[in-house]
Order: sequence, then C-alpha cells, then structure tokens
Amino acid sequence: MLFVHIIPILWGVYIAFIDLDIYTITQWMKAPFVGLQNFFTVFSPATDTGIRYLRSIWNVVYFGLVTIPAGYVIGLLVALLLNREFSGRTIVRGLILLPYITPDSVAYNVWRFIFQARIGIVNKYLLALGLIKEPVLWLVGDRAIYTVMIASIWKGWPFACLILLAGLQNISRELYEAAKIDGASSFQLFRFITFPLLRPVSATLLLLSAIWNFHAFNQFYILLGTDPGKAHVPSTFILQEAFTNFHLSRGAAMSVFLTVLIFLMTAIVIYARRGRERE
Amino acid sequence: MKKALKKVFSKLFFYVALFIVLAVVLIPYLWMVSGSFKTTLEIQSADVTKPELSPSWIPRKFTWENYLRVNRTVRMLDYFRNSLIISIGTMIFSVIISLFAAYGLSRFNFSWKHGYTLLTLSTQMFPGISFLIPYFMMFVLIRYYLGIPMQNTYWGMIFTYTSFALPFSVLMLRNFLDSIPREIDEQAQIDGCTPFGALMRVILPLSKPGIAAVGIYSFIMAWNEVLFATVLTGRETKTVALGLLEYITAQQARWSGMMAACILVSIPVLILFSFMQKYIIEGLVAGATKG
Repeated sequence: MLFVHIIPILWGVYIAFIDLDIYTITQWMKAPFVGLQNFFTVFSPATDTGIRYLRSIWNVVYFGLVTIPAGYVIGLLVALLLNREFSGRTIVRGLILLPYITPDSVAYNVWRFIFQARIGIVNKYLLALGLIKEPVLWLVGDRAIYTVMIASIWKGWPFACLILLAGLQNISRELYEAAKIDGASSFQLFRFITFPLLRPVSATLLLLSAIWNFHAFNQFYILLGTDPGKAHVPSTFILQEAFTNFHLSRGAAMSVFLTVLIFLMTAIVIYARRGRERE
Repeated sequence: MKKALKKVFSKLFFYVALFIVLAVVLIPYLWMVSGSFKTTLEIQSADVTKPELSPSWIPRKFTWENYLRVNRTVRMLDYFRNSLIISIGTMIFSVIISLFAAYGLSRFNFSWKHGYTLLTLSTQMFPGISFLIPYFMMFVLIRYYLGIPMQNTYWGMIFTYTSFALPFSVLMLRNFLDSIPREIDEQAQIDGCTPFGALMRVILPLSKPGIAAVGIYSFIMAWNEVLFATVLTGRETKTVALGLLEYITAQQARWSGMMAACILVSIPVLILFSFMQKYIIEGLVAGATKG
C-alpha cells in the first residue's frame, strides 16, 4: 500500500515543484527546482492554462452541485417506491441496477449516440414535440456540460438508490406502526421517522459522492472526446496538459491541488459532523 | 367505496411510477440494441429533420453484420484478448495479495494496525489523475534504468490495476475474515497447522464467497478502466474500453458497429455481476455505510 500509493503521491508532489517535461523525464533528478512557479502558472488568471484550469475546477463543482442532489433525490424516491412489497420486486431491483453495473465506456458511448444531432433520438423527439426548430448540437460548446450531467445522473442514481434502500430496510417497522396508531399521515411518517433515520446513511453517501465527483473523468472524456473545450474538468484537463502538451510538472501541480482540495473538503465535513455529534 | 377507489388509485399511481422508472433506465439499452442491428448506411443517412429518414426504433433493414464483422474495422477481438489477460491477471494478483493482507489485519495485532487501516481507506480518496503522472514516470524510468518495458505491456497494466483494486479488496476481505470465528483457526493450530497452514486449509475454503467477490470486483474494475489505459497502453495492449472509442474517427462514425461491440463488452461484466450479485452488493453497502 505504501509502495504503490503513498510513494507515487509524494513523488507527484515533488514533480510539481520542478520543471519537467516529456523530454527531460529520464534526467528527472537534475531537473531545475522552480518552487511554486508551476502553481502560479496553473492558477494565474493571466495565463491561458490558468484560466482554463480555474474554469475546469468550477465546471466540476457546478457538475457536482447538479448531479449529486439530483441523483440523491431520484434515488430516494425510487428507494421509497421499491421499499414496499409487490410481485416482481427482485426483478425490478435487478433492472434498476443495470446503469450502475454497465461499464462506463459502454454507457457513455450509448449516450453519445443518443445525443447526436442528426441521427440521435433526443433531437428526434424534441423536434416532434415542437420544442426545438432545428437539430441541436448537444455535445459541443456551452450545452455540452448539461449533456454530460444528464448521462451521469442516469448512470449514478442507482447507487444512491441501492444504499438508501439498504438504509430503509434497517428501519424497524414497529416505529411506523406505533406512529400510525397515533394517527400520523404518510408525509409525517416520512418527515419524522424515515428521513431522520436515513441521515447517517445519507451523510456518508453524499460525502462519498462529493469525493468521487472530483474524480469525474470517464463521462467527460467519452462523451466529449479528448478536448472537451469549455467543458473541461480537472482530470481531462490535466491529461491534456501532461500528455498532449507535455507539461508534466504543470499537470502534477494541478493534481496536487486537486488532491488537497478533496482532503480539505473531507476534513471539513468530518469535523463538522463530529462537532454536531458532540452537541 | 371511497376508500376502495383511493386504494385503486394509489396502486395505479405506484405502477405508473414504476413504469416510468423502468422506461428511463431501459431506453438507452433498447436504443443500443436497435442500433446494433442497423446497417451503417441506415444510421449514416438518418436525419431527424426529414420524417422519411427519421431514426427508427425498429431497423428498416435488419442485419447481423455488426456482430459477425465486429473485428473488421476495429480490432475488437484483439482488445478482448488484451482485456481478458489484464483483467484476469489483476484478479489473481489482487486476490492473493489482499488475502494475505486481510488475514494479517484480521488475525494479528500490531501497533500501527489502526493507522494502516485508515491509510488504506484514505487512498480511496485520491483522485486517479494524481497517480497518473507518477505511474507514467515510474514506467519510463524502469525502462530507462532497468531495461524492463512497462508501458504497453500486460504486466505493467496488471501491476497498475492490482494496486488500484487492493484497498477495497483488503478491506472487504478483512470484514469477511472478521466474521469467521477465531476459534476455528486456533483449533486448526492445535491440530498441528502452522498459521500459514491454517490459512490455506481452513480459512481459504471458508472464505470462498469473499474471495470470489473480491476477484470479480477486481476483474470488473480492470475491464472498465479508461484513464490509465489511455496513457499506459499502446497498440498491443489496448483494452476494450478504449477500443470502443475507435469506432468514431474524424473521418467516419460507425455507430452500428460500436453498439454491437458495446453489447459484447457488457456481457462479461453482466454475467460476473449477476453471478456474485449478493456479495458485491453487501460489500458495497458495507463499504459505503460503515465508511
């Protein structure tokens, strides 16, 4: 674990502080130490790289702010729906897990096909309903990020549903029966029993989703190609900077920042939760 | 009367909602299946603005070509072989290593045990991209100093994916081994087994389901991975996940071929998952809720 995870990470940090490109890679120990220069480059709104990196961070935050709540709400609604007894429940549960277990490469390629301008079904039905006048190019420019959001929500909600369903099944039925005898409505049952008891599961689920959100890569890379343009996220942008433009050290600096960001966020969330538990 | 009506409505509402959920889940799959049976010509000439050429759910001309010639434009069969070798290799190594690590964590006490477990958990938080540059450099340097090629080799990929599968595998197997009573291996040791013998003869057979789940998890992870495959594989070792992207080039888009390949790529994962569904879901739920 130490060897395959911690050392590479530390090495990555070191690379971020030197000036290294793909041509000097074998002489990495002799590469000049440049201190924080790489970090200034990748954050400075004055350089092209800086602007694009800052935008990619904003994109991934925005992406998470939309897809995480949407995935959670859909997952919760469907979990509530599936928590009752009906015939064929096992089959339905298996089917809704399909998006989650389908390989990313398959799922997002299919969505890319669906969103094609002239041959895709999205435009077909939007035209038929009269919502648009001519085929929309979904996968380029400002709209691209929303397309990725839709595909991601479709792929991601079953996981939330699965976890919440497990949480629901841990809630004792006696609680509901007692509340019903006291005359609680079904909304009240949800508001005062289900939701509070799901809180620990939800908190972990949302924290995990928030962490994973910063890892977002596959959906952007597959739907939008090697250069998502305005819709870059850190992972796709770092890949491009390091391996298309050969700025390895800049890529490392961006990776280090991303890692620190995730750690800070996690630490704040865990600290806040501990504080509340103590009260 | 009113109450009965209300019950009927609530039931109706329930089934309508269920239907909508299933439709949303299944539509992309139906479109994939439909596309895989169309001719390339039919898809390329489709046009949403012209009603007579509008893309249809039922292929106008049904064809098996896309499946039969899956290897024609893109060397999909080679990529299948590459993916199989890499995924099975990852599965074997990650099972062996995580079994020993999990056994150690579950049965022996050492002072930094808690720290080690936390460290293992925390590696799940690192974004994959932060490993990409160090791994790439490591591969280049190993080649430069030791003369062992790593990039574009099977063992290079197996090494990479095993290292990514390990944290989850170790923790999951540890939970599994914790549920096997210690008395069983103590008993085995009294009967004359060494700790290693106890592991091999007693614990191993008992933890088969856990081992299978970890193996399948590692297989699926390696089968699906995209980011590292784009940088660390080359012509000879390209995996199926990347192969799919080859159907669309700047010159042409072979959607029908890609949809057929998509179905073939999903099959191993679906089979393995349904096979071990119960254990993988338990592992996921435990991993996510115990955090």
